[in-house]
This record gives sequence, structure tokens and C-alpha cells, in this order.
Amino acid sequence: MTFAHPLWLIAGIVLAALFLGLAQRAARRGAASALAYSNLDFFEQATRRRFDPALAIVLAAALGVVALAGALAGPRFFANVPVRGGAVVLCVDTSGSMRATDVAPTRADAAAAAVRAFVDAVPNGTRLAIVAFSSGAGVVAPLTDDKDAVRDAISRIPPPNGGTAIGDALAIAARVLPPSGKRAIVLVTDGVNNLGADPLAVAPQVGAAGIEIDTIGIGTNGSGQLIPGTALEAGMDEDALRTIAGSAHGAYARANDASSLRTRLAALANSTTKEKKRIDASLPLAIFGGLITLLAVAGGLLAGRFP
Amino acid sequence: MNALRAAILRGARATPRAGAATRGTRPGDGFVFSQLRAYVEGDDPRRIDHAATARVGALQTRVYLEETTLVLAAIVDESASMRVGRRRPLAAAAREAVRAWFGALEGEDAAARIVDERVVRDRRAAPLVRARGEFRFEGALTIALCAVPRGASLLAITDGFDLTGETPLERAALRFDATVLLARDPWRDDLPLRGFVRLRDAESGRMRRVFVGARERARYRAASHAREAALRGRFRDAGWRVGTLEEEDGRASLMHAFALR
Repeated sequence: MTFAHPLWLIAGIVLAALFLGLAQRAARRGAASALAYSNLDFFEQATRRRFDPALAIVLAAALGVVALAGALAGPRFFANVPVRGGAVVLCVDTSGSMRATDVAPTRADAAAAAVRAFVDAVPNGTRLAIVAFSSGAGVVAPLTDDKDAVRDAISRIPPPNGGTAIGDALAIAARVLPPSGKRAIVLVTDGVNNLGADPLAVAPQVGAAGIEIDTIGIGTNGSGQLIPGTALEAGMDEDALRTIAGSAHGAYARANDASSLRTRLAALANSTTKEKKRIDASLPLAIFGGLITLLAVAGGLLAGRFP
Repeated sequence: MNALRAAILRGARATPRAGAATRGTRPGDGFVFSQLRAYVEGDDPRRIDHAATARVGALQTRVYLEETTLVLAAIVDESASMRVGRRRPLAAAAREAVRAWFGALEGEDAAARIVDERVVRDRRAAPLVRARGEFRFEGALTIALCAVPRGASLLAITDGFDLTGETPLERAALRFDATVLLARDPWRDDLPLRGFVRLRDAESGRMRRVFVGARERARYRAASHAREAALRGRFRDAGWRVGTLEEEDGRASLMHAFALR
């Protein structure tokens, strides 16, 4: 957190200390005019309270002064705030290797379920699109903020078959996205690029356009699992996926099972639709401080006398 | 005859106690008029007051009490807690009561005022003397038990704040015709405080800032009533005649304790 005018904060703290000092002085003065009572122990026992409202009012007034001074100091901080009108394209691998069952029930079904979880977790107003890719890439759901339409489109994702054209998928996804605003591509794949454009060349261009690419690798690398119907082992080029994410301001994550895949995607639904913004807390702090001070003073006056 | 003196005599006779076979310190030397009352069959005809009978239109009998010298003793709580009050200090009312008490002295009656661990027997000084040291009810009562003759009439005025379980109330009631005037909390029925107030303990000088709201006032009223009832019960159970010292009028408080106006 930074302050535009830190001197105001110091002045406020000094003022609050002064206020507390004056309150104490007033208490000492008030002692001289205190009302004599026969037996204070009996009085306290008879009217016992759990807390001292006088102390609460003095502290509230001091807190109000500090908050007002804090507001004058212009506090600013960075926070992740939801982006209205952000856009995300989900690139889902539908190559033949997605038939593998190391992620139950199959990688393709687990990916579809995770995509559904992603759609559910995304804040309303965020536009979504789905691009499916195998030997080629195609838009399954155009960019829309209608979540139901996107959920319907998930069932239209083609069954797993063919090669893996990651570079083509990234290029199409970039074209689907609007030219400005918060934009992200979430790539869900289990394989190695073996067709079309080189993703390591496409990713930096996408990143340069201000689009974030997050990659998720599905499956168990080196497990000896074969792509069903072939004699090929279902491997994954994690280094490539990491490089793709790194060159477009994103991050790579690996999901070995359906549940972790869902978790990763739900987390991405949160991070890709938020952005770090500098927040000026002066106004809310001023309102809070003013309100607390007013309440403390009004409470003190209503209670008969200000302590 | 002083009405209070007669009441003290009547009260002392009406409540004979074990160990108090002799009501006075000296034997009686005659009879003194006490009151007029309607004639009851069996009354000595010589006691019929003809003037009163003519005035009233029915037979009136003069009641005489055996003249007895009294010993009137007093213990007055003069601690700082008695110096509080709503319009005037309770101590002022206590002084009025004690003056009225010793005002009942007649003839050969004797006085005994326990002040500062000593007994003032001077009849003129007894109602006026002031304590200088710290007052302890228990200590004063113990001195009375040792120094005041058996059968004396004892008046104690206190707010009861320093009463302990060890205070020899029962022993005092057996030895004396004991009367207590319990100082009524001036704020008993309505705590005249609102909001934040600073209170100072009259005895210790301790300060405390307290908040008094409707709930606190209600709690205080209940606690004050309960405390007074408990104190009255304790003295009554011990065999004392119990009255209330009202801030406004100490003499009237004493008279009420003896059912006098």
C-alpha cells in the first residue's frame, strides 16, 4: 500500500493521540466534580455491565479521526478486481490421445466436465468461446456471454480423433477474441503438437497482442498408456506447454486426474476474469471515518454527556 | 411525660427478653402518666379521668407507667457513607434522630453515646458529640456490650454497609432493648443519573466513570430494595426493633420506629 500524502496520516495519528490525551485530562477534571456515593462496590455490583460504553465511544471517536486522516493521506493499493466484459476462449484438445483412460473416465470426458465447471465459475458478463482442435481447429461456440449457450456447445465438442494442431487452435482463438480488453486463452491438451502451425511461434505473437495464454496438461506422462487403437504412447510435451504459457503472460499447470483438472480450470475461471487494479481507498475510508466519528459524538451526546 | 420516653418504656416492657430481668438500672420510684384510653372492665375506678370522660362522652382511664429510670444508649454511624444524600446528608437526619433520642431523657435517666471507641455519658454532650475517627459498627456494638448496663435502650443508626457476619446483633438484642434506624438509600426508588456519570466512593475516595441507562436504573432499584429488605430481616431476626432513617426528617424516622407520629 502507498500513500499520496503520508503527512496527513501522521497528522491524524497525532490528532488521535491528542484526543485520547484530552479525554484523559477531561476524566481527571471530571473526578473533581464526581458525585459522592455511599458504597461504590454496591453500585457496581448492582448495575454491572459487560463493557464500558464510555471507552467504546472514546475509541470509536479516535478510530474515526484516524480513518479520516488516513483518507486525507490518499491510500492506494493493488487488488484483483473482476473485469466486466472480459473474454476467454477455451481451446479443448480432441485428438485421438484424449480417448486414453488414465484420467477417468476418459481424458476427453474429464476435459468436458472441467470445461463445464469453468463455465459455471466464470462471473456473469464474461464472454466465452470454445475452440476444439485435433488435426485441425474449429470454433464450437462463438464468443458470447450467454453461459447456457456455451454449456450447450460443450456437448457439441467432437469426439477424440486425429492429430494435435495446437498452433492452429491458438491462432483461431486469437482471432475469435476482441481486439482489446481483458482477453485470455485457456489451452487444455494432453499431447504434443504434430500438425499445423508451430505453437511456440504463434504464442509470442498472441502474447504480444495482450492476450494471456494459460495451459493445462492432462494425463500421466511416462505411464506407458497407449493411445487407444494405436501402438503410440500417450505422451505430453510439458516444456512446450510451459513455454507457450510463459511467452503469453500465462501459467502452466498439470492435471493428473479429473478432480485436479476441474480445480485447475475453476481457478483459471477466477484468475483470467480478474485483473490487478490500483484502488484508491480515500473515499470509502473518509465515509467510514466520518460515519464512525458522527456515531461516536452522537452516541456520547445522546447518552447524556460526552465522556 | 415525653411521648418517646413513654414509648421506649412501653416497648421495653412489651418485649421482655431473657437475661433482661430488670428493665432499668435503678428501681422505680413512682408512677407517671402515660396515656388516656377507653375504660375497660376491671380498671381501677380511681384511674378514671372525669374531665376526659366529660369531653369524650365515654369513660376514659388514665394509664400510668411505673416510673423507671432509663439508660439511653446510642451508636451513630458517622462514616463518610452517611454524608451522602439527595437533598441533605443522611448524617443530618441521623443527628436529628439522636437529638430526639436523648431528648427523651428525664429525671435520673442516664445517657451513653459510643463515639470513637469511648462512651460519652454526659447527658448534654451525648447528642452533640461528633466522631473523629473511622466508624466500625461491629466495634461500637462490642463496646456497648461491655460498657452499657444490661437493660438499657440502645439506638443504632447505620447504613449497614460495614455490617459483617460477626456483628453481635443477637447478643445486643438480648442485653438491650435494641432499636436500629437503617439509613434508607436516597436513590433507592429512582437513581437520578442519566448517561455517563462519575461517582466517588464516599469512604475510599475511589473514582469510577459509569454509564447509567434504563436497564442500570432498573437493576439498581431492585438491588437497593433487596439490600434494604435483607438488612431489615437480619436485624429483625436478631430481635431488634427496626425503623428506617429517612433523609428528610430524622426525628420523624425515630418516632415512626416507635409507632409515634
